[in-house]
Parts: sequence; structure tokens; C-alpha cells
Amino acid sequence: MFITFALITLLGALGMLLQKNVVVAGLCMVAAFFGVAGLFVLLANPVAAALQIIVYTGAIMVLVLFVIMMLSSHQEESAAVSHPVQRWLSVALLAVLAFGAVKLVFASPGVKTLAVKGAAMPQAMTLQTVGTNLFADHLLGFEVAGLVLLAAMIGAVALTKRNL
Amino acid sequence: MTGMDAIHQILNGGLQGYLVVALLLFFLGLATVLLRRTLLLQFMGVELMLNAANVVLLAFARFRGGDAQAMVFYLFIIAVAACEAAVGLALIIGLYRHRDTTDSDRAASLKQ
Repeated sequence: MFITFALITLLGALGMLLQKNVVVAGLCMVAAFFGVAGLFVLLANPVAAALQIIVYTGAIMVLVLFVIMMLSSHQEESAAVSHPVQRWLSVALLAVLAFGAVKLVFASPGVKTLAVKGAAMPQAMTLQTVGTNLFADHLLGFEVAGLVLLAAMIGAVALTKRNL
Repeated sequence: MTGMDAIHQILNGGLQGYLVVALLLFFLGLATVLLRRTLLLQFMGVELMLNAANVVLLAFARFRGGDAQAMVFYLFIIAVAACEAAVGLALIIGLYRHRDTTDSDRAASLKQ
């Protein structure tokens, strides 16, 4: 199961990276988000999986697709100046970084102990546990998050409106 | 850890497997930001990187015995991601109105 969802996620992300058409790239990203939601289910966290589908594949994706349609920029514009050296340099740097990071994960003794110690499946996360934790210990943070969302909403309207 | 052990870990979804998938997702997102020129695609790359961070957070929470604290932070990350999506897309629309482009290379100066 794990490898299936991991492949859906990574192939979706890869499709997004390589796809010429922006709309298709957006749909590839939906696949990647669905894969991540599947990974969350395997992590005994159905609440996070539901939120992932509602917020990312629902809200954010619809927003992105609306903007793509609005701007009618379905294809990537041709480059004004091509930077082949910088592009290949960034690819090489990313490959080295990714290889180093993956090697580090497998070399780390702390990660290994944690993987062995926590191997037993914990109880699935419930909405009740999340709610208790959120409103008992992080009420201020919750209120601030609400305020930040309001500010972002007003900011987005102010930025897109032609004459305020 | 030998190579066979590592492959076994990845295939069966041990902690290392989740971390590797999250890392690869992060680097694919970073590659999208660095290699593509369309601002909308770069924005999607940033979303992918945020998602990779979420995967790592929840993977560690599960291997620490189902820590509920991580879910709270996941909620905050989602809230910030939603703000970022709204404001970022509004900025892209603003740029398109002024410059008639969504190419980040063509938006290299602050003044027109």
C-alpha cells in the first residue's frame, strides 16, 4: 500500500515538473495531493487525510485552476533569455542535495531507533483528540490563525480589485 | 544499515520510507520552482514543498505513538498555506494586469 501511494505522489510531482500545459500540470498536482492523503491514512491519521483532500485538492486546486483560466496562460511562454548553465547547475545541485539528504536519513541512528521503537501501529487519530488539544493548549494560536486568514482574504481582494 | 535493509524499509513504509518520499517530494517541488518560469507552476512547487513538510511532521508524530500535538501544527501549516495561496495568486493576477505576463523572468524589475 505504502509504495502505491508513494509512487502516485512522486509521479504526480514529476508530471507537474515536466508537463508543458499548465492545466495538466495542475491536475498532476491533484494526483500528488491525493497520494499524500493516502500516505496520511497509512500514518493512522484519517483526520489529516480528510483535511488534505478538502483543503488542497478542493480549495487550493480550484483557486489555482480558476486563476489559470482567468489569465488564459495555458502554455509556458518561450524564454526571453535562456540560461542553460544555470539550469544544469541547479539540476546537479538538487541531485547532490537529494542524494545527500537520503543518505543522511539512512545513516541517522536517531531515526533508526525511532523507527524500531514506534513500529507498533498507534491508535488512529480522532477529531476529538485533535479538538481537545487544539482548544485546550493552543487557543491563542487558533485565534491568531483565524485573524491571519481574514487578513489574507482582505489582502487578496485589495490586490485583485482594479479600483478600490 | 545495508542496502537490502534500506530497500526493505522503503517498500514497507518504515519511518525511513516516509522520510525519503517526503524528501523526494520536497526536491521535486524545489526543482519546479527553480526550472519552470511560469509563476503559477512555481507557486504549485511551493505548495508541494509545504506538503512534504507536512508528511515529515505527521510521520514523526505516528512513530512517536500518535502525537496529537503534530495535528495542531498541521492545522496551522494548512492555515498559512491557504493564506499564501490567496495572496500569492492575487499577486500573480496583479502582475498579469501590469505586465501581461506570468513569466518570472520577464518580471525582473520592480518599476515598469
